[in-house]
Amino acid sequence: MRALTYTALILLVVPLQVVLFDWISIGGVRPDLALVAVCVIGLHIGEREAIGMGIALGFTQDLLSGSANWGNLCLKPVIGLLAGLASRNLVNLTLPFALGLLFALSIFSGAVMFLLKSLAGAGPDFFAAARGIILPQACYDAVLGVALLKLIQRWAPDRAPLTAITYE
Amino acid sequence: MTGSKRAVLLLLAVLAAALLIFPESRQSPLQTIGRPLASAIALPLRAVDALNQAIETIRNRYLTLRHVREENRAIRQELGRLRMDNAQLREMAAETDRLRALLRLRAVIPFPTVAARVVGRDPTNWYRSIVINKGRKEGLATDMGVMTPAGAVGRIVKVYDYLAIVLLIIDRTNAVTGLVQGTRDEGIVEGTEKGLTRIKYLPLLSTVKVGDQVITSGLAGGFPRGLPIGHITRIERREAELFLSAEIEPSADFVKLEEVLIITTPRETSDLPANPFPLRPTPPDRRDAGETR
Repeated sequence: MRALTYTALILLVVPLQVVLFDWISIGGVRPDLALVAVCVIGLHIGEREAIGMGIALGFTQDLLSGSANWGNLCLKPVIGLLAGLASRNLVNLTLPFALGLLFALSIFSGAVMFLLKSLAGAGPDFFAAARGIILPQACYDAVLGVALLKLIQRWAPDRAPLTAITYE
Repeated sequence: MTGSKRAVLLLLAVLAAALLIFPESRQSPLQTIGRPLASAIALPLRAVDALNQAIETIRNRYLTLRHVREENRAIRQELGRLRMDNAQLREMAAETDRLRALLRLRAVIPFPTVAARVVGRDPTNWYRSIVINKGRKEGLATDMGVMTPAGAVGRIVKVYDYLAIVLLIIDRTNAVTGLVQGTRDEGIVEGTEKGLTRIKYLPLLSTVKVGDQVITSGLAGGFPRGLPIGHITRIERREAELFLSAEIEPSADFVKLEEVLIITTPRETSDLPANPFPLRPTPPDRRDAGETR
């Protein structure tokens, strides 16, 4: 069942983002659905699944993107790992923490993408990018991710938090 | 029955017979006698009648309203259906217009093209690219130029069997060789942060001016010479720089891209014919400005 869900996510998340750009964009900024999915998986399930999904979703994103590099393929598993580790070391995953974490991870992702584009010699001005893309997208990602997490927690509230000691 | 009762009954029968048999004129005394009673009865009679009328009116109104409500609901449903039909028909008409324009363009340009539909946009906010529904199976390859009836749109950067990714000319990582139509100055056209394009490396002594048309030069980038890119809106002259650059407003509307043409073999053929873009003619003032040079 879980494998089926992951396969469906891989097949649907990025195509949805590509095709439904008009419906999901606010002020010209779209959420990074792949990042949201990877973070939610990391927070709710664990870092191993999040890394796997990060690789798959990042790869799919890069396949359909106009970028010349494979930034998402490298970035999304790292984000999944960070979300998973952060979640694993929590006794109670609160929504404010999830909101802050998603926001921070989205900012991190945006900053790395900016750097990658700058290295290609065509990066926009950092403050313009932060104001126009990074911050709005981070807000959008965080709100969407928390809403999704809340839904999932209501639907499947069987997350078993482990302390760092238990994990080790 | 006793005798007195019989007598009363007989009297009543005779009276009734008399009232029926007597001529109408003889009955007036009875009416005169009954007038006060009639007047007394008239008041409650009118009241009852008014009540009846009111009830009847309310009932009629209710029935009418009920009928109107049903009729209204039916009309609203019909209106909704007609609106939907209308929207679909308008959409089909618009699509037909666009496809007709593409076909017209395809018929006049002297190189093979493949028509494709735009199915999506870049999955990130960092690149300006589109996803089209044709790929390697239709003969597409990387670096092929993509255009619309309005002009150049971008070039293919990734191609798969059934879809391809087109990097738009408004993306900063894209570069196309351009030519100012009036002055014949060549430069590199690339995207800007504002979603426009800019032509760089124009000669410092160039007489380029605002409104001049910029076209593809055909030297590189998968485009033949002569495809419109846009017109110049601002010229940037900076001190201590060896070249001029100018901002271009693109001819194509990148927000509303729905169908595009992919130029499959641009360099084997000659230049474009005189006016292959009848839908977006150059404005007269700009054309004149270009011709006077």
